[in-house]
Amino acid sequence: MNVIEADGLVKRYGSTWALRECSLAIPAGHVTALVGPNGSGKTTLLSLAAGLAAPSAGAVTVLGGRTPGSPIALDGIAFVAQDTPLYKNLSVVDMLHLTSNLNRRFDKASAQARLTELGIPLKRKAGKLSGGQQAQLALTLALARRPRLLLLDEPMAMLDPLARHDFMATVMAAMADDGVSVVLSSHVLAELERVADYLVLLSQGRVQVAGEVEDLLARHRLLTGPAAEAERYSERLSVVHASRGGSQAHLLVRQNATDGPLPPGWESHPVGLEEFTLAYLREPDAAAPPGPGRGPDAELSEVTT
Amino acid sequence: MTTLAALPAPVHLEDASLQPLPWRRMAWVTWRQHRVALVGLAVLLGSAAVYLWLQGRQIHHAYGTAVGCHAATSGACVNAINYFTSTYNLTARKIPALLIQTVPALIGAFLGPPVLARELENGTFRYAWTQGFGRWRWTLAKLVFLAFLAATAAELFSLLWSWYYQPFIADGQTNPLAAFIFNLRGVTFAFWTLVAFAIGGFAGLLIHRVVPALVATLATYAGLALVVGVFLRQHYLTPLIARQQNLLASSAWVTGNWATKGGRTVFSFTGAPTNNMLGLFCPSGVTVKPSSGLVGGFAQCLSQHGYTLWASYQPASRFWPFQWIESGWLLALSALLIAATVWLVRRRVG
Amino acid sequence: MRLGYLKPGDQLPKVRDVVASLAINPNTVLKSYRELEIKGLTTGLPGQGTFIQATVSQVALPELTGLRRSLLTWLATADTAGLDEDGIVALFTSVLRDFRERRGGSGVHRDAARGETEGVA
Repeated sequence: MNVIEADGLVKRYGSTWALRECSLAIPAGHVTALVGPNGSGKTTLLSLAAGLAAPSAGAVTVLGGRTPGSPIALDGIAFVAQDTPLYKNLSVVDMLHLTSNLNRRFDKASAQARLTELGIPLKRKAGKLSGGQQAQLALTLALARRPRLLLLDEPMAMLDPLARHDFMATVMAAMADDGVSVVLSSHVLAELERVADYLVLLSQGRVQVAGEVEDLLARHRLLTGPAAEAERYSERLSVVHASRGGSQAHLLVRQNATDGPLPPGWESHPVGLEEFTLAYLREPDAAAPPGPGRGPDAELSEVTT
Repeated sequence: MTTLAALPAPVHLEDASLQPLPWRRMAWVTWRQHRVALVGLAVLLGSAAVYLWLQGRQIHHAYGTAVGCHAATSGACVNAINYFTSTYNLTARKIPALLIQTVPALIGAFLGPPVLARELENGTFRYAWTQGFGRWRWTLAKLVFLAFLAATAAELFSLLWSWYYQPFIADGQTNPLAAFIFNLRGVTFAFWTLVAFAIGGFAGLLIHRVVPALVATLATYAGLALVVGVFLRQHYLTPLIARQQNLLASSAWVTGNWATKGGRTVFSFTGAPTNNMLGLFCPSGVTVKPSSGLVGGFAQCLSQHGYTLWASYQPASRFWPFQWIESGWLLALSALLIAATVWLVRRRVG
Repeated sequence: MRLGYLKPGDQLPKVRDVVASLAINPNTVLKSYRELEIKGLTTGLPGQGTFIQATVSQVALPELTGLRRSLLTWLATADTAGLDEDGIVALFTSVLRDFRERRGGSGVHRDAARGETEGVA
């Protein structure tokens, strides 16, 4: 089952295009990292999946073909928006009671236990909690609904490293316990490596890359060798991004069956998720297969080491 | 043998016909989120009610004394009635009435806009409208619950007010159809409150911010009330026609006057005759009797010059028919505004 | 298991606990556990958990001791030649890669690969 499926999805706000011709199929049972520069459409995509907005064109379905905003979709999806919206004047207990009233399924007992475990005082107003506590509260409320899909929009932007670790630990534990699928948008690439097993890269409102992380990384390599030979060598390869440090050139390539053995002086390394993502983000016109590659005109950009 | 083949299967999705959540769940939600406004309005109305109760008892007592006076034509009794009329005319009759006129607007403006504008302004709609209850049901439940509370509180207050004001009707000082008093008595007070609330809710959705929506609600309500009181209400039923001098001010709400001579209309006026007219026909002044007012006195002057002053009017006996007509269209307008609000919530919000 | 901290009969921690303390993807943990089970190193007892079943080292203890000693000698030589610790690691990683490629293609082993990218000069 695909938790989110988009087909030619377009979203426009007045004259601004937030999403252009987006097509993707995010499978269930994964932690999907939604990555992209500011304004690439991550929040818009999540809002559309959560049913807070309607597409301008194209379609998006959730939880195996349901319409976002339909009763089943609302029931099965929990959305924690950016800046974790909570009612500032309501106490933590009030928020629990509120969420319990507004949903069919709500495990109040476990939510309360979790909040106590985290040291969040139940009587305090939500607005008086720290940023990390607010994020944990919003997450606890979302998870206590036992959703099938958890959507997180840059949930850790305001959190310190310890709070971020606790936050992700909670999410991962929920996944281990309940099998919930997670789609989270984030800027913090280094942390995504540990948790993400599906990647969607958005650039200028389009899907640049989408696939299983293991799969994507297996099909790419980082080649290092003498800068002098780099340009000629690149012509035979599908280079995603090329950079140069001193006399050495680094080429992030997509492996093809037609690639021959490495010439002498060149080394091949596997690619990590962060490097992979950065390379594609730097080359907005590149797209992961089966999209078109960059071809022979890979430029060498100066990189100060 | 393997105990951990994969992640546990998530909660089973119920079939397509998920039962909607019971409406009563929203009762607590509505109360908790609008507690401050509801309590504030309760305190406001409560204080006003205490004042009306205390003052009203005094007025009733004074009126009882005045009319219970034996030898009605004796100087002492006439004095008692005059005393009653003059003492309570302004501070107990006109000023409270004008203040109470603002109550529906205040209730509507403080309860209506926050329902949607506060959520949109603070971004909490991203929480509220992704919960299982669903956004249009959430909106409908809140609007209906609050509308009901507002209208009920308003009507109770209106009953108290009617009791308070009763002596002023009985002593013939006020026409029950007069604009500044008509919508405070009977049942229309509740419906004016309802429409103010409905305007507020709709404004909150369109304007997205609480304070501007509140101001817009007050302004719209004021405009509507003014238009209805001055122009619309008199046309609910076709006015009757009679000679002005046959009418009593307290039982006929005059909506227009015209003078005829020899079967031809010579001039007309609404409300009161102009100074020019008075100067022309009553150079030595007009006798104003409490029962017939300035216009009645003017009618006397005119008849001495051979003119007949006619009036189109609504009799006081039409008080209740007018109440039902006004309540009816206010209810329809409120329902329309609330339906429009819910429909827009369901349809858009990008 | 390679270093002898886990012996047959020891229980592996629950997936959930690993995930909660390390904040990593449960699928990653599940896959590792599954791989261990496929290799026959662990076995799952229904309702109880996963237990270590066999040992890893296919190399006998005397051989391991001999390997240790020769490695120490080599390290001393490298140190004398002027290589610092980072240089030793870089050299070792590079030669290991060559050795692996010579042995059988450029198979990607993810856990080993992660360490490699930091070793690039």
